[in-house]
Amino acid sequence: MENKSIYIFEAERIGNYLLGVTVQDSEKNTYADAMQKLNIQLSNYEQALWNSMIKSKSKMACIDAALALKEPNNNARRKLFTMLAIIEASPNYTSYFLSRNFSFFYIVKIGLVGMRAVCRAIVGIFIINSIKRKCN
Amino acid sequence: MQLSYDYIVVGSGATGAIVANSLVEVGVNVAVLDVGVEDEQYKEIIPDKDFVSIRKEYSDQKDYFLGKQFEGIPWETAKVGSQLTPPRSFLTQLTEKLIPFESDSFKPMESMAKGGLGGGWGLGCYEFSKPELDAIGLKEPEMLRAYDAVANHIGISGIKDDGAPYCLRDLKNVQPVSELEQNLSGVFTSYNIQKNSLNKKGIFVGRSALALLTKDKDNRSAVQYRDMDFWSDKDKSAYRSWMTIDQLKEKSNFAYHKNCLVLKFKEHDSGVDVIVKRTDTNEEQIFTCKKLILSPGVLGTARIVIRSFDYKKEQLPVICNPYCYIPCLQWRMLGKEIEQKKTSLGQLVMYLDENRNNFDVGMAALFSYRSLLLFKLIKETPLNYSDARIIMQYLQSSFTIAGIHHPEKGSASKFICMKKDADTYTGDLLTGQYILSEQEIRTNEKREQKIKLALKSLGCQPLKTVYTPHGGSIHYAGTLPFNDNGQMFSIHSNGKLGGTKNVFVADGSGFNYLPAKGLTFTLMANAYNVAKNVLKND
Repeated sequence: MENKSIYIFEAERIGNYLLGVTVQDSEKNTYADAMQKLNIQLSNYEQALWNSMIKSKSKMACIDAALALKEPNNNARRKLFTMLAIIEASPNYTSYFLSRNFSFFYIVKIGLVGMRAVCRAIVGIFIINSIKRKCN
Repeated sequence: MQLSYDYIVVGSGATGAIVANSLVEVGVNVAVLDVGVEDEQYKEIIPDKDFVSIRKEYSDQKDYFLGKQFEGIPWETAKVGSQLTPPRSFLTQLTEKLIPFESDSFKPMESMAKGGLGGGWGLGCYEFSKPELDAIGLKEPEMLRAYDAVANHIGISGIKDDGAPYCLRDLKNVQPVSELEQNLSGVFTSYNIQKNSLNKKGIFVGRSALALLTKDKDNRSAVQYRDMDFWSDKDKSAYRSWMTIDQLKEKSNFAYHKNCLVLKFKEHDSGVDVIVKRTDTNEEQIFTCKKLILSPGVLGTARIVIRSFDYKKEQLPVICNPYCYIPCLQWRMLGKEIEQKKTSLGQLVMYLDENRNNFDVGMAALFSYRSLLLFKLIKETPLNYSDARIIMQYLQSSFTIAGIHHPEKGSASKFICMKKDADTYTGDLLTGQYILSEQEIRTNEKREQKIKLALKSLGCQPLKTVYTPHGGSIHYAGTLPFNDNGQMFSIHSNGKLGGTKNVFVADGSGFNYLPAKGLTFTLMANAYNVAKNVLKND
C-alpha cells in the first residue's frame, strides 16, 4: 500500500513533466500497476538520479535529456518511458500523440523545442556528473 | 484417439497448411501434428474498429496496445520475438522452452503457434523469376502452376505496374490493388515522374502484391483499412495459415492434433512411425502413417531429421536474408495529419535490378508509421521524452521506413549445429553461426547505398541504417539442399527426403538460394507441388 502511494505520486510528477497537465487517476493507477508488475530495480546511482528527478519538473527534464544522450537505457528513464506509454494508450490524451495538420509556422516551435532539449541536456550533464561523483 | 493416418503433416504454418489442404482436397485421410499455441488473451478484447477510433474511444486499449503484463513496452536489448505486439506475442510463446536456440551471431525466430510464423507475415507475395527458381533448385513450369493454385486459395491483390515483373509476373486471378495511403502515394508519384532516369540505374518501384483481399472471398471480408494489421485479424482480409487449418477442421478426412511436438520419425516396412512428445502431459506418443510430410519450418525440420538419422551429421548449412531498415523523412508529408483509413502494410516496393535480369535483385519494402504507437519512436531519439514527444508528433506523418532485404547464398561460415543436451526439453540443443564474408558485406553496403540514393531522389531523406542481427529477416532455408542423388541430409527435387522412402519435406529446407524478395508465397507454392508429388508417389 505504501508502495502504491509512492507510485501514484511518481505518476503525477511524471505526467506533469511529460504533458504539462495533471494526469487522471486512471493513468496514475495504471502506472502503479505497471511498476508492481515490471518491478524495475534501480542501482544506488540510478536511485540517486531518480530522487533528484522526482523533486522538480525542471530537474526531471534536464536529467532525462542528459541520460537520453549519455545513458539512454538508465532505469530511471524506464520509469518515465513506462508512463509515456501509459499516457499514450489512454483516450484522455490521444490529442498529444496522434498526428494532426500543423500550420507551416509550427516548424519554428519545433526548432525552439529542439534547442530547449539541447540546453536541458547540457545542464543535465552537469547534474548527473555531480550525482555520479557523490555516489562514487 | 486415432493415431494412424494415411498422411501426417508436421506443422500448421504457411507450408503445412497448404500441404494439408492439397491432400484433403483429393479425399485422402490427413492429420496435422502441431504444438498449436493460440492467442487466448487478446483476440476477444480488441474492438472491431479502426485504429484512430480505438485510440479516441476505448479506455481498455492499454490492455492490448501495452499488454496485460506491460510486455508491449520494450526496454534494452530486444529478445527474439520482442518486436511482436502483445496480441501477436503468442507466435513465439513456448519456443525458448521447447526448441531452444543458442548463438551469438544468429538469432532466428521460430514459432510453436497454430498457423506458425505466417501469423505475423507481412503479406508480400513474390513470384520468383526463372533465374531465381533455377538457383533455388525449383522447376519453373511446375512452380507457375503452383503459384496460380496457391493464389486462388489465399487471395492476392495487386496491379501490373513496374513492380509486376518482380512479384505478380503472369499470375492469374489477382484482385484489384488496395488503396494506396497518402505517405506512399507521394513517393510513387515522384517515382512516376522520374522513372526513366531511375530505370536506367536499375531502380523500379511498384505496388506490392499482397495476400490481402480487396473483395470478399469465402468467409473472409475485403480490407476495411482499419490500420490494425499489427494487432488483429478481425475481418480476415489478410491471409493467415490458421484460417486454412480452421477450414480443414470442418472436413471429415482431416484431424488436427495440438500439443504435439514431433521429435523424430522411424521408417518401417508398412510406413512411418512419428514419435511425439506431448506438451500437455510431457509423455511420448507414437503416431503412424503411410507417408510423412515435414513442414515445421527449416530449423524445426533440421532438428527432426538430425534426430531421426541418429545425429550422423550434427552440422547443416543455413541461409537467411540479411536485413536492415532505414527510417527516412519525407519532406512533403511534414506536419500533415495521417488519414484515418489506411493499412500498416508495405504497399510499395523498390527493386534494385542492376543487371536487368531479375536475379540478385535488392528489395526495399516501404512502410509508413503510426499504429505501433509514438512512444516506441520517441524512445529512439537522443532527446528527453517531453520534448521528443512534441517533435515526433509533428514528424510522425513524414516517416517512411524502408525495410531492405538482400539476396543470399550459403557459405562455410553459415551453419546450424545440433548437440545432445540433457537439460533441455527434447534432450538436445540447436546452435549456429552466421558470419558474412567481407565481400558479402561490401556488396550489401553498395546495394544499400544505391537504394538510399534512390530514396533521396524520391523525397525520402534517409536518417540512419539500422542493422538487425542475422536471423531478423525471418527467412530461413538451405539446411537440406536439393540434390537428386538421394543422399541423407538432402532433398530430392520432388520433395522426398534423401535416405528415406516415405518422408517428404515441404518447407524451404531444400532451397539453395534466397532471393531478396519475400519467400512465403514461393514456400507455399513449393508445398503445393510437394503435396502433388506425395500423391503421385503412391
